[in-house]
Amino acid sequence: MAAQPKPLPVEGPHYLEGGGILGWLTTVDHKRVAVLYGVTALLLMLVGGTEAMLIRTQLMRPDNHVLTAAWYNQIFTMHGTTMIFLVIMPLETGFFANFLIPLQIGARDVAFPRINALSYWLFLAGAVFMHLGLVTHVLNLGTVPSGLPNAGWFGYANLTESQYSPGLNIDFWDIGLLILGVSSVLAALNFFVTIVNMRAPGMTFMRMPMFMWAILVTTILILLAFPALTVGLIFLFLDRFFGTHFYRVTAGATPILWQHLFWIFGHPEVYIMALPAFGMISEILPVFSRKPLFGYPMMAYSLVLIAFLSYGVWGHHMFATGMGPIADATFAITSMLIAIPTGIKVFSWIATVWGGRLRFTTAMLFALAFIIEFTIGGLSGIMHASAPIDLQQTDSYFVVAHFHYVLGGGVLFAILGAFYYWCPKISGRMLDETLGKWQFWLLVIGFNLTFFPMHWLGTWGMPRRIYTYAPGMGWSTLNFVETIGAYIQAVSFIVFFANILLTLRRGEKAAADPWDGRTLEWSVASPPPAYNFAVLPEGGSRDDFWVQKYGTLAGAHGGGSSAAGATAAAHAAAEAAEHIHMPAPSLYPLLFALGVFLMGVGALAWLRIVILGGMVVALSIIAMAFEYPAHGEEAAESEPVFYRGVDNRKAGMWAFLGSECVFFTALISTYMVYKSRNLAGPDAQILNIPLTSFSTFILLMSSLLMVLALAAFRRGDDKWGRIWLLGTAGFGCIFLGGQVYEFTDFYLQGLYMQTNIFGQTFYTLVGTHGFHVFIGVCWLVTLAIAGFLGKIDSKRSLAVEIAGLYWHFVDVVWIVIFTLVYLMRTVKHA
Amino acid sequence: MSANIAQSAALEHEHPGVSIYVTVAVFLILLTGMELTVFYVQFLQPVLVPLLIILAIAKFSLVAMFYMHLHYDSKVFTTFFIFPLMLAVTLAISLLLLFEYLLHHLSFAL
Amino acid sequence: MRVLLRRLMGVAVGGALAGCAGQHHPMNTLVTKSNLASWIYSLFVQVTFWDLLVLAIVVAALALAIFWFSTRVGDPTEPAAFQSDTRLELAWIIGPALILLAITVPTVRTIIRTQPNRWPKNALTVKVIAHRWWWEFSYPQYHIQTADELHLPVNREIHFELTSADIIHSFWVPALGGKRDVIPGQVNQITLIANTPGEYYGQCAEFCGLSHANMRFRVFVQTQDGFKKWMDHQLKPPVNPGSGPAAAGAAIYKNAPCAICHQIRGVSGFSKQYTYGFRGPDLTHFGSRTTIAAGILDNNPKNLARWIANPPEVKPGARMPALGVRGKELDELVAYLESLK
Repeated sequence: MAAQPKPLPVEGPHYLEGGGILGWLTTVDHKRVAVLYGVTALLLMLVGGTEAMLIRTQLMRPDNHVLTAAWYNQIFTMHGTTMIFLVIMPLETGFFANFLIPLQIGARDVAFPRINALSYWLFLAGAVFMHLGLVTHVLNLGTVPSGLPNAGWFGYANLTESQYSPGLNIDFWDIGLLILGVSSVLAALNFFVTIVNMRAPGMTFMRMPMFMWAILVTTILILLAFPALTVGLIFLFLDRFFGTHFYRVTAGATPILWQHLFWIFGHPEVYIMALPAFGMISEILPVFSRKPLFGYPMMAYSLVLIAFLSYGVWGHHMFATGMGPIADATFAITSMLIAIPTGIKVFSWIATVWGGRLRFTTAMLFALAFIIEFTIGGLSGIMHASAPIDLQQTDSYFVVAHFHYVLGGGVLFAILGAFYYWCPKISGRMLDETLGKWQFWLLVIGFNLTFFPMHWLGTWGMPRRIYTYAPGMGWSTLNFVETIGAYIQAVSFIVFFANILLTLRRGEKAAADPWDGRTLEWSVASPPPAYNFAVLPEGGSRDDFWVQKYGTLAGAHGGGSSAAGATAAAHAAAEAAEHIHMPAPSLYPLLFALGVFLMGVGALAWLRIVILGGMVVALSIIAMAFEYPAHGEEAAESEPVFYRGVDNRKAGMWAFLGSECVFFTALISTYMVYKSRNLAGPDAQILNIPLTSFSTFILLMSSLLMVLALAAFRRGDDKWGRIWLLGTAGFGCIFLGGQVYEFTDFYLQGLYMQTNIFGQTFYTLVGTHGFHVFIGVCWLVTLAIAGFLGKIDSKRSLAVEIAGLYWHFVDVVWIVIFTLVYLMRTVKHA
Repeated sequence: MSANIAQSAALEHEHPGVSIYVTVAVFLILLTGMELTVFYVQFLQPVLVPLLIILAIAKFSLVAMFYMHLHYDSKVFTTFFIFPLMLAVTLAISLLLLFEYLLHHLSFAL
Repeated sequence: MRVLLRRLMGVAVGGALAGCAGQHHPMNTLVTKSNLASWIYSLFVQVTFWDLLVLAIVVAALALAIFWFSTRVGDPTEPAAFQSDTRLELAWIIGPALILLAITVPTVRTIIRTQPNRWPKNALTVKVIAHRWWWEFSYPQYHIQTADELHLPVNREIHFELTSADIIHSFWVPALGGKRDVIPGQVNQITLIANTPGEYYGQCAEFCGLSHANMRFRVFVQTQDGFKKWMDHQLKPPVNPGSGPAAAGAAIYKNAPCAICHQIRGVSGFSKQYTYGFRGPDLTHFGSRTTIAAGILDNNPKNLARWIANPPEVKPGARMPALGVRGKELDELVAYLESLK
């Protein structure tokens, strides 16, 4: 083997050192935020795993009494919810992606470091909120006994209505998921902008590490899938707290609406979990096969194709609901199509291993096992895509087997492989390989022993989510075997956690590049310094670090960089490092999340706490807004940060608006569907066209004032800039006034939110738009004040432009609403 | 590949002048007027839906292209916006079709 | 040729599923007793065959890659450098696409075949209304109502109309075909012909709260004659308790709150103000059923007494409360109900 060139040695402290507890609470360093995510998610993995053990223990024998029905339902609900939202997603996106994005694309941090911290604290708030049911259970709070959420991880309406689930259980779930959704969307926005806009100068899309491709596509999925869930959860919230009828049959509504909204989110969610795992495998296999990834372009395109198709297949979760033969056939075909890009991935991974020089590290073992386990899960997925077969298999243990092969044998194996692979970089110490191999083999045996027999149980008709079963059903033996398998898995995880604890205490110190890696994160010290790269890399080829070391992508003869060159570079690095300014820590993300948590608690307990929480949130936002220019100036002057031609904030705003498109679409579709199902009371004929025509005129004119304000600031005319800004806000207020008049008028005519399904959807849609206008007015007023304080000038007019984008988007949404809701009031849509 | 790479100096892009902003506003008002005409004139009722949708798309595009500067700005932003928009419209149409079936074949009022 | 292919598939899949032999599996989806179930089974066999084939290819390819066509760390030769191969990549796009086509065509055909939009005039209509946590079955053409035990004639078109009185459930009798969700505000349909007399198990398949696991039922497919006999019996008025404990029990039934939810035709009807949201099973021929409490207990005096004494203890969340009927009264009530053959 050719002498390996050493990665640049970097002196000085690494990111984990210093700062104390306050340092961790206020950190905005993506690596520290990632570690916070990782530790939290690992603890929650223990919780979710314990829940799994309880489930398996209860099902060990027929007619067992380890858990009551009530506890069983809470525990299986929380097992699913925890593993999906609180373990897999945060580990993949919050932990690994967060840590690795800047390191793999050659950046100092993510695009919005404070929003990154905010995402974490919101995630923590949501996770804690989700478990508050334990507190109400122990303290016996509330009018009816309450505990953990208990309607399954997809919480089908109308079981979740207060009539059928009277306790607070579902409220914890509903509000907790709303908080987690905001956290996920913010994180996705952040990572999306980072990858699109902050890659090293030479790193084109087709030179990115495959993990970055996977995360890029995943963030798009999150941005465009979560809004549907958010809308569904808001409807549920309104039903439970304000007595509306979004999922109540009596008013003409249908609980099927929830299933559509949920699965429009839910199927992309499957890929939100699966794609990062694909990315991890695509990183691990080449390194330990000493070969580049096979078929890189197809691997990237197949990720995009999977993501695209994933929005058109949600119906395959609903074959049993009776969507009709045409919809069944359509969804069956689109679902089958996903098998093609997935097949490309599986075969390309095998081709990557083929002909390689293999090293069977624990990470490699997990990656190889992943290929088989995931393929098994994928193949049973094809059965479910075939609608008639699905009718026998859905909601049976066959499906349980399927998604555990995808998410356990697939995603979880990839995550564990990633732990063994990247832990040296993250912690600076190597995980023990002997323990690792024990864990691997125990898990492979335990996993397959638990889940493979479930295919048979499902085929033999055992429904999922039953807390017990009768002895004579022929299910007893396999259930017993499965429980043994589950215990073996538990042992395997004990080994894993022991390995982590031992490693942190006295693990072998890791070199910067312990695996002979291919991507840029291995070019910096382990653990990396706070600023990641002393000198930002060029990133001019695929597997950039490998090429730096060996000169070519594939072979490994001769070094790319000479020893002398490396020393010189090291000196340059040490010099450069002194001039790097990293973003200052901030306490406001934590406060913001605390405020949100208080609002959630208040919604269940005491309205005044909602107001208090809202004030904390508002103050945090304002404080963050005025904290920002200081950092901005500093960064602008001292650091040659690299951006790909667009501004991060503007890119972030556009990505957010894309997400909002889906959000409003879910609301508008619901309106159009429910309008024609209205049973009694006032309907769309009540809508006042002259009044809203005037409102439309006002809002269009406010958009004109908005661009005039921007133009004024850009040419340096601050005075007129401020005037036009305030004018815009004023027109916004007139619009809101019109809406208040309109709502009052309807109210007096007897149309309440609870009156009928026209009223509830109308108020929700138009009210949500009005809320956006309200936020816009607040934003504009804040900007005008900043203008008076002299904080906005022609150089910093971007702040106005971004607010303008939001404002015009709200205007554009109104154009759609005015047409579809008002002018088409007589048209029957569905 | 360095052609598509620009330092922050290139963040500046051409913005339309005030006159264009005002012209667009005039068009927006005219289009709204046409919408109302379509709404109130009796003989246009049979083609109400297509006409209104065309007019709304026109207004939408004017605001997005000129006030939101998509016409002038980096094409990246257009992509960020158009893809979700197309997806959203497709989802909306699919939902309407799915519920149409539900309403006409399976539903009953309690 | 096609028959041969089917046979081959059958042998391959049969081998893979050999584990199902020997044991008694009343909910087995592979033992088909209706046209619907056999159509689904035939599709299942085809897809399973292709799945196993693909799995075999993947496992074999990976095994070859690991154990034959690769070297180990320490080997002095550098590994092969190939990183793309257009023909290979096209092959693993086109190959799977063809397999998917082979799956999609019969899938779509089966979808259309299993969801007919019309059915013969003489089809037997069965209305299924799901409740938390029991099943109401009625035969509108014959004015028969029963609960938790469904009787069907063999070799006659049966048209199910499914709806729910409260939340979403799912109607599933594996031997007779796939499940259909039972959704409030919506009427779902299943059309099938049962082809073998026998007793089959069914169970709710959509999570519906506390006692989802206890929402089971039985299906008795009978010969045409047997079904006719059963129907005639169901149409008869309830058995007269005569005298003795059963007669005392009848009095208890009438005076206790039982009659609010439970009808015994000719003795007490459903009160109008209680719509079916509040309805409990019809008890007119209660004694002729083999199970109680939605198929979770055998119908015998001991179990019935235990059930009436405290229903939520037997079935968590049961909406029938403990009514405080005890001791001798309980025995009499049980005697009466069991007499309603």
